[in-house]
Amino acid sequence: MQDPLAFIIAIAQISAAIAVLNGLLVTLGQGNVAAKAIESIARQPEAENSIRTTMFLGLAMVETSGIYGLLISIILLFANPLVNIYLQHIGG
Amino acid sequence: MDLNIDNLWAFEIFGIEVWITRTIFNTWLIMLFLIAFAIFVRIRLCKFKEIPSGFQNAIEAAIEMFDRFFYQNIGDKLEPLGTWFFTVFTLILASNLSGLLGLRPPTADWATTFAFAISTFGLIHFLGIKYKKGSYIKGFFEPHPVFLPLNLIGELALPVSLSFRMFGNVLSGMILMTLFYSITPVFVRFVIPAFLHVYFDLFSGILQTYVFCILSLIFIRGAVD
Repeated sequence: MQDPLAFIIAIAQISAAIAVLNGLLVTLGQGNVAAKAIESIARQPEAENSIRTTMFLGLAMVETSGIYGLLISIILLFANPLVNIYLQHIGG
Repeated sequence: MDLNIDNLWAFEIFGIEVWITRTIFNTWLIMLFLIAFAIFVRIRLCKFKEIPSGFQNAIEAAIEMFDRFFYQNIGDKLEPLGTWFFTVFTLILASNLSGLLGLRPPTADWATTFAFAISTFGLIHFLGIKYKKGSYIKGFFEPHPVFLPLNLIGELALPVSLSFRMFGNVLSGMILMTLFYSITPVFVRFVIPAFLHVYFDLFSGILQTYVFCILSLIFIRGAVD
């Protein structure tokens, strides 16, 4: 480990990739929501409109945790606080 | 478009440095456009007709669509809130769609979405105390006073989740579009970005606006009833 800054940045890149991986579970959940919505539309075609709006609402709610992971990875990539801490540490 | 929010202009008021960022500038542009459009509509509707046609018909249809959406979700009890939510809806929608014109969407800045979310948060508690008075405060101590910190954390998580949802969606769309435009060669930039814009700007923007408004309405109704 010759350059600690490079080490910090490399770890940040890897952890950003891991943070985006929660998209796997979010996709599973969204697929579940869509499948259930299609099932209920097939059972009750006359209620299609209300089922569709509720499905979109549910999809957006499920998406929240995926968005959190995305934000964590964006913060790690573009506004990493650890780099500043390290720079202060060697500066002071 | 730029990934960072750059500072256009800085000046000092009473020793405090005030920054006019790209977000504020774009918000002002959108507000100017909306106000000009509203004045234009008002002038056009001076010649009000009993049986609407053409332009008047389109405006009335839009207002009626929003009215139906609003009353379906909240009922007659909170009628004055309709104007507030119509304003929020149009402002967020115009902000989200401004990415189509090459502006940096103001909602891709957490400050903007948090301002919207904190106003919803204020409305929930103000209306809850106004309509339910003592029993609203008592709701925090249920099922047992030990749960008070948990209830408070649950309430404080609301504006955070509400604002991060819209911020993350718009920001991710903007980052993907910026990456596409900066990485790909010139001859790919003709037709393909249109499809990406339809998904990331139109679909995602409209859906997030809808979700923000409907979640605010649901939470407010939960606090009032």
